[in-house]
Amino acid sequence: MLFDQAIDIPETLKGDAVSVTLMEERARYNLRIKSTDLTEFKKLTGLKLPRKINTSSAAKDVTCLCVGPDEWFVIAEAKSKAKLDKLLAKASNKFVCSVTDISHRNVGFEITGAKASRLINVGCPLDMAIEAFPVGKVTRTIFESAAILLRRTGEESFQIECWRSFGPYLRDFFVRASRDF
Amino acid sequence: MFEIHCPYCDEKRPEIEFAYAGEAHIVRPNAQDQGEMSDADWSQYMFIRDNVRGEHCERWWHQHGCNMFFNAVRHTVTDKFVMTYKMGKSRPTAKQIADAKK
Amino acid sequence: MSAFRKSGRGMVDASKPVNFTFDGKAYQGLQGDTLASALLANGVHLTGRSFKYHRPRGIVGAGSEEPNALVAFDRGEGRVTPNVRATTLEIFDGLKAESQNRWPNLKTDIGGFNNIFSMFFPAGFYNKTFKWPASFWDKVYEPFIRNMAGLGPAPKSSDPDVYASVYGHCDVLIVGAGPAGIAAAVAAAKKDQRVILVDEQAEPGGGLLSAQNVEIDGMAAQDWLTKSLTTLRKADNVTVMLRSTAIGYYHDNFVAVNERLTDHIPSVEPGRSREKLHRIRAGKVILAQGGIERPLVFNGNDRPGVMLASAAQTYLGQYGVAVGNEVVVFTSHDSAYQAAFELADANISIAAIVDIRDKISGDLQQAVEARAIDLILGSSVSKTSGKLRINGCEVYTASSGKKQSFQCDALLMSGGWTPSLHLWSHSKGGIKWDADLAAYVPEQANENAVCVGACNGNFGIEAALNAGTKAGGGRKKFKVKEPEFGSGVVLDHLPNYIDSSKQKAFVDFQNDVTEKDIKLAVREGFKSIEHVKRYTTNGMATDQGKTSNLNALEIASKAVGKPIEKVGLTTFRPPYTPTTFGALAGYRDGELFDPTRKTAIDPWAEAQGAVFEPVGIWRRAWYFPKDGEDMHAAVARECKATRDSLGIFDASTLGKIEVVGPDATKFMNLMYSNSWTTLKPGRCRYGLMLREDGYIYDDGVVARMAEDRYHVTTTSGGAPRVYRHMEDYLQTEFQHLDVWLTSTTEQWAVIAINGPNARKLIEPFVEGIDLSKDAFPHMAVREGKICGVPTRLFRVSFTGELGFEINIPSHYGRTVWETLFEAGQSYEICPYGTETMHVLRAEKGFIIVGQDTDGTVTPHDAGMGWAVAKKKKDFVGMRSLKRSDLIADGRKHLIGLLTDDPNVVLEEGAQIVADPNQPIPMDMLGHVTSSYWSESLGRSVAMALVKDGFNRMDETLHVPMPGTTHKAKVVKPVFYDPKGERLNVV
Repeated sequence: MLFDQAIDIPETLKGDAVSVTLMEERARYNLRIKSTDLTEFKKLTGLKLPRKINTSSAAKDVTCLCVGPDEWFVIAEAKSKAKLDKLLAKASNKFVCSVTDISHRNVGFEITGAKASRLINVGCPLDMAIEAFPVGKVTRTIFESAAILLRRTGEESFQIECWRSFGPYLRDFFVRASRDF
Repeated sequence: MFEIHCPYCDEKRPEIEFAYAGEAHIVRPNAQDQGEMSDADWSQYMFIRDNVRGEHCERWWHQHGCNMFFNAVRHTVTDKFVMTYKMGKSRPTAKQIADAKK
Repeated sequence: MSAFRKSGRGMVDASKPVNFTFDGKAYQGLQGDTLASALLANGVHLTGRSFKYHRPRGIVGAGSEEPNALVAFDRGEGRVTPNVRATTLEIFDGLKAESQNRWPNLKTDIGGFNNIFSMFFPAGFYNKTFKWPASFWDKVYEPFIRNMAGLGPAPKSSDPDVYASVYGHCDVLIVGAGPAGIAAAVAAAKKDQRVILVDEQAEPGGGLLSAQNVEIDGMAAQDWLTKSLTTLRKADNVTVMLRSTAIGYYHDNFVAVNERLTDHIPSVEPGRSREKLHRIRAGKVILAQGGIERPLVFNGNDRPGVMLASAAQTYLGQYGVAVGNEVVVFTSHDSAYQAAFELADANISIAAIVDIRDKISGDLQQAVEARAIDLILGSSVSKTSGKLRINGCEVYTASSGKKQSFQCDALLMSGGWTPSLHLWSHSKGGIKWDADLAAYVPEQANENAVCVGACNGNFGIEAALNAGTKAGGGRKKFKVKEPEFGSGVVLDHLPNYIDSSKQKAFVDFQNDVTEKDIKLAVREGFKSIEHVKRYTTNGMATDQGKTSNLNALEIASKAVGKPIEKVGLTTFRPPYTPTTFGALAGYRDGELFDPTRKTAIDPWAEAQGAVFEPVGIWRRAWYFPKDGEDMHAAVARECKATRDSLGIFDASTLGKIEVVGPDATKFMNLMYSNSWTTLKPGRCRYGLMLREDGYIYDDGVVARMAEDRYHVTTTSGGAPRVYRHMEDYLQTEFQHLDVWLTSTTEQWAVIAINGPNARKLIEPFVEGIDLSKDAFPHMAVREGKICGVPTRLFRVSFTGELGFEINIPSHYGRTVWETLFEAGQSYEICPYGTETMHVLRAEKGFIIVGQDTDGTVTPHDAGMGWAVAKKKKDFVGMRSLKRSDLIADGRKHLIGLLTDDPNVVLEEGAQIVADPNQPIPMDMLGHVTSSYWSESLGRSVAMALVKDGFNRMDETLHVPMPGTTHKAKVVKPVFYDPKGERLNVV
């Protein structure tokens, strides 16, 4: 079945200073669980949920992001979806928790390059200095009128996710702003 | 634009991530109390607010952040935040507010 | 080289002439000139007419404080910026500027008659005159005021330029790159802090750019400046931003800085941003904005050629321009002597120095004598002459009564200095009166901020350098050789023998406020300086009173009879200087103004030629016109096709929230008025949500997916507020419940299939779900696959027909839609939009929250008492439903209306009355909430909120509409298939 994110990234966003790409299909889950169950959860699923809010832990194909006191996103490559569906269903049966598949709720962008953080600061008010927003830090925040999930994957690389219908708005903002770079 | 300390994220975040959510420490009467309350008492709970001039306990929602509601003490004349604290903690004492200002 | 250019001076490049026009006349300036310096170099002082009296006006200052020399800066079609200060406008080849407030031209201005009749335009003139009769306002007064008033031309077309914005962060933000700001930046840079230094000028340096005979640590001032700037430019942690004005200072050290990117460039490639608004959060703010020289308030002080002494100094030092050949200096402060000396040393003739004071220091006196300048102490200028430019003045010595006349082509004035407190005031920093300076200076800070140098009342370069260094965290002490800054006096009134009623002594040049106006305001009872400001409009122009505030305060305080510190300073408000709307909008023009949310199926609808309507920030297909159909025809066709066979509708915008946890049912019972205890997994129920005040807040079908899992739907526009409402209660009142919420609106694309052939259409594509009537009853939900992808399949109906809502992960939405649409051709499948959806639901009497309800409608009012559980102990809104007002008689009820004439479609919002012949004002019974042409019924149908509606069944009411009043009968609001038999087709 055709997977249609309906967002074209124009050539202008493939520059040396900053480059924006659309992330491929992903498996995404919203996970709500009590922090007291995290150790047992890891035993059962092998997923390490970071305890500290606004941090993330990346295993080889799965990233777990803590975005609230009892809230995580589990984001993985699409090929892992069947496996994760089973694992998380198992966890659902064992723990008092909430697992919701949100794979198609979001679209994601990867932003890389020396001016990546400047592009983010066009619409996001957070301080992107490496000390203030180190690699691995993650948070929900805003980019102008769009709510985003922001994660730093490297000194000059970030991932931004937003709800599907806000994707073209972010893309258009990136196109406009990158003209000034 | 203020920077507001979110007690759950434990960091200062820009005001536009937050939404105001009304006066704090107004407890919703439980089912039994609701049944026994007069219309006048109920309207007091529903509609009447202190509108203080000075330090005001109020609720904020870190809508575009950790998604948590929390409480804040804010001065209604200077608009400044004095302190923020997690939902469920009791109203700060005068001393706690004074300490927070230091 | 023009007559007034002094070669070899200043920062201008004599080898690079620049051609520009002013009022259509060609001039030449030099690279580095502002429009003001270039005009002065050409001997032009006259630059505009004043706001109220249309008096000829010239250049007063040399920076952003300029009140007079406002021009329209013309960059071509749609690119005229009014009210640009000539003193900050950099010239370039081809620059075009026009003077303002004059017609037909600057030298002959019809509006100048205002000046002749100026005795009729005192303070509060508009308030006093244009009051009566009221009927004159629209036709006489307003057009008159609009013609005469106003500052500059308003743009007539939309701005073709683009603008930018960005957030910035730093440890130290320094505003002003004069000696104090640069010293602060150098010191802070060494501390390894992130430093941003901003200055509104094209060249950093401030007063250092024009400083004569100043040595800093044994170096010429300009050399020290060059060295320091090199240091700053080399430092990785320092950003120097020029042409960048800090326009506003907000809470928690949030400062808006507008950077002008292209206005100084002759030709700009299209698409390049003109200005960029930096929204900077700083750890510490160092304000080094300097001070502004005060004009003297004397008769004739607004004549072109009368200007600030410091401005003349700047024009000479920074631009190499002599402001005149024969200059009189009039002062109450020592600093003007330095201006006089610098001009004299550049071979400009100083006709006289007139000082209000009877005595000056011996050093100054010697320096005056050394240059053989005529010094007149204890005197003031009593009048000036010249039509479009000063050509002479009269000096009056009050003690002797002596009057002397001087010829001059420029008159320099100095009334002392005012620290620039604008941004400090934005930040709500405290101020105190400094009697020695006769000015307000900063006191208690309200933010982590400090004022240094002249804006803190510490005048002189050495004081600025040392204060700046300290604020930047350094310890260095500078040794500076510079002329002494000196001191001065301030008088509320300058002695003059001419009757005060015949004098024109301006305080606020831009708003044409005179000394008389301020005194009149006080006489008329305005004692508060804030009231005097508003009544006289002093300080309310685009310059925010930069040159006028202190003088006005001085005059008002004497008139009120209170010491100045008791009168208080008026509040400065952002922006510091006029700012384009474009800069404030940034990137957010056109498409980027707000997101337009589109569903996964939207591109298909667009390709089909759908007409769209906005629903919140969603855009939804409204109807699908065929072959030139109008909306009425298209909707009639779509309705008929759906009822006859098959309709397909994109319902993806429905809000969706997944409610999960062992206490999910308890939570649902609290949040909705219905009961959820009896709803079995696999079944759906219509849910009604109330606010705590008992009124309907939202509604939607809720499916119980499992014991601990609900799939909640909300109205399209209501999703965010319902989510917030639920989270709020969950986190604050119902914390004990183990349940969590996840917004899933965009996880699912939703395709609604309605019509007798709905089941037949989807059957071949569905796997793992028994679609038969008994296995999958109305209001049930099943999980399985459709077209090979997972689905949550609802059997629900918002049309009254057999209906399914197919939820599929949204990135598959378009393909599933296209597959079903293709297969539907054999049933003549018809795509329909929101309008048809509205008609079909209205025929069934289904409400739209927000259209048929308005936030004051209870479930009972809406005829939906059945959706309120009787046995529940608690739910949000329950107690309020028992309030006496909410159960009283006479509430408005939602009923149906059938017009007597079936072809009349009532207007939504139309008022309803019982008797159309009653006297006005009529007793309104309610209004029409929904009204449509029903193709299925061959007549119109309507819903309405009507007082006591349930008790008025079959009553005839009257609906006045333009032209006529229609009769309509009250009926139950279910018009089509009242028994619901059509849901049961096999």
